Amino acid sequence: MFAKLALQSLFDRKGSVVLSLMAMTVSIFVLLGVEHIRHQTKENFSNTVSGVDLVVGARTGSLNLLLYSIFRIGAPTNNISWETYEAIASNAKVKWAVPLSLGDSHKGFRVLGTTGDYFDYFSYANQQHLNLAKGKAFHQVFDVVLGAQVAKKLGYQLGDKLALAHGIAATSFSLHDDRPFTVVGILAPTGTPVDQTLHVSLQGLEAIHIDWQQGVKMPGSTITQAELEKAKLQPKSVTALILGLESKMATFRVQRAINQYKQEPLLAILPGVALSELWQMMAVIENTLLLVSALVFIAACLGVSAMLLSSIRERQHEIQLLRVIGAPAYFLFFLIELEALFIALLSCVLGAGLLSVCLVFLQNYLLGHFGLHIGSNFLTGNNLSLMLAVICASVLVAIIPALSGYRQARIVKR
Amino acid sequence: MAIDLLNVRFHYPQQPNHEVLNIPSWTLPVGEQVFIHGPSGGGKSTLLSVLSGLLIPDEGQVSIFGQRLDQMPNRRRNQFRANHIGYVFQQFNLIPYLNALDNIQLASRFAQRKKAPVLLGDIKKLLTDLNISASDWHRPARALSIGQQQRVAIARALINKPELLIADEPTSSLDPFNKEAFMALLMSMVSENGISLVFVSHDLSLSHYFNRVESLNVINRCGDSP
Repeated sequence: MFAKLALQSLFDRKGSVVLSLMAMTVSIFVLLGVEHIRHQTKENFSNTVSGVDLVVGARTGSLNLLLYSIFRIGAPTNNISWETYEAIASNAKVKWAVPLSLGDSHKGFRVLGTTGDYFDYFSYANQQHLNLAKGKAFHQVFDVVLGAQVAKKLGYQLGDKLALAHGIAATSFSLHDDRPFTVVGILAPTGTPVDQTLHVSLQGLEAIHIDWQQGVKMPGSTITQAELEKAKLQPKSVTALILGLESKMATFRVQRAINQYKQEPLLAILPGVALSELWQMMAVIENTLLLVSALVFIAACLGVSAMLLSSIRERQHEIQLLRVIGAPAYFLFFLIELEALFIALLSCVLGAGLLSVCLVFLQNYLLGHFGLHIGSNFLTGNNLSLMLAVICASVLVAIIPALSGYRQARIVKR
Repeated sequence: MAIDLLNVRFHYPQQPNHEVLNIPSWTLPVGEQVFIHGPSGGGKSTLLSVLSGLLIPDEGQVSIFGQRLDQMPNRRRNQFRANHIGYVFQQFNLIPYLNALDNIQLASRFAQRKKAPVLLGDIKKLLTDLNISASDWHRPARALSIGQQQRVAIARALINKPELLIADEPTSSLDPFNKEAFMALLMSMVSENGISLVFVSHDLSLSHYFNRVESLNVINRCGDSP
């Protein structure tokens, strides 16, 4: 009965109630959205690489190395020589070493030159290895294995031919169109940048650049496709290496050895450590976003309270009447609180609903443009406790109008 | 005695020098109906608020059915009011957005006397007795005519079977026809159930419904100034 009274009373003032409800809904939507995307991004990034003990590249910032080698963000500064790769790979403490070569693209997707070992050793999330959804890994020079998103977005099937572009811009004028690649495999989706990558052999990359000088195609090339496949295509350099070690205990020693490598300036990083550096940088932005959404929420809470407060004046007769039929003064306190609670609950439901609708629509966009795999299930323990906090906060702020209602109830009309 | 006032004095805290009530002694026997008339501003509403326990006098005794309202803790006084006293105002007797049934149910909820199914039967019987047709039971109170609203107000005041009914100018917003109909209904309800009634109005034409008619100026010794 009392809940009915509160609901009917709210419904009776639907004009102002709906506006406050909308403000609350939007603020809860923003709060939940920021919190959800924050967590998903972190999870995404942390899931991108696992089982890799060290990432080695030319000397640069550790974040820069991590971003271009693993996340395919930004451009590599310099390459490391093939001899260095062989030296590191032959280190007794190194279990496996996979070279990565970056720099070309296909319709905005990055191309990664590597060896067959990549598919055996690279893992993501919880030590999950890459799986081929269709076809097989590359064996010929002009074979290419597509990430799940690449195949889906560009509609490639096994056996399709495609030309790589020089450089990493989405539209490039210098195509390696004289030497097309054949799709031999398509990887299962991983939710990591692997999905947006085309994988070719190092030899393939070498082959398409064989008669290029200074990044420009030289005219009058006479080497045929068949000749190329036979030729020994030994790359002179690679962009980065990922290493697995025999023992985790050796990680820092190997890292030191690489960092002090005499022949070439190198940098070895632990992906986990570099990631946490990234979080420290991101934390400022994250916290600012969270703070702003919290402020928006508080503003909405105050809006609801102002609405309830002004309603008390127009409800004087109602309050007096409730008192006369036996309602204690504190009943008015709880009635106003109940109304605030209903608004908060309804806003939570609406805000959460709005967020799930938006996530469904934005999922593909975020995945395609930012490589962010944002799950649509945001009702995690964390967000539920956030909602609980939201409800508590609105009940707390509603103490102001509730007290005013209580005071009003204590005044007896003359 | 239904009401027993002794040396009741009251002033509002905002106006410490202006005494509103000064009643040396006044009683109402159980089952009696009294008509009190007086000018507005004569402490009428204040007296009724004291009788219903909404206001506590500065000094003196307020006994309703032998219970000292002035000595009860807040909680018990609210409960006592819900259980024993019905109240009908000139207007604003109902929560405007609730329908007739809900308005009456709400009143009984504070008294907590009966279970809901029994109650609903009682409410429907009361509304039927008060000539409210079933089609109007589910309409919000503000959609009812003033005459209907006042009759629903009687039902609301009587649902908890109060022993005392306080009516504060209940007919002032009614037209003459509705006024007579309302009075006839009210008086029959009251005498049928043996309810003590304090009826306050400035309209002396209604006094013929009552055996006892008193002037507020006589009861209240400080009714000279507004």
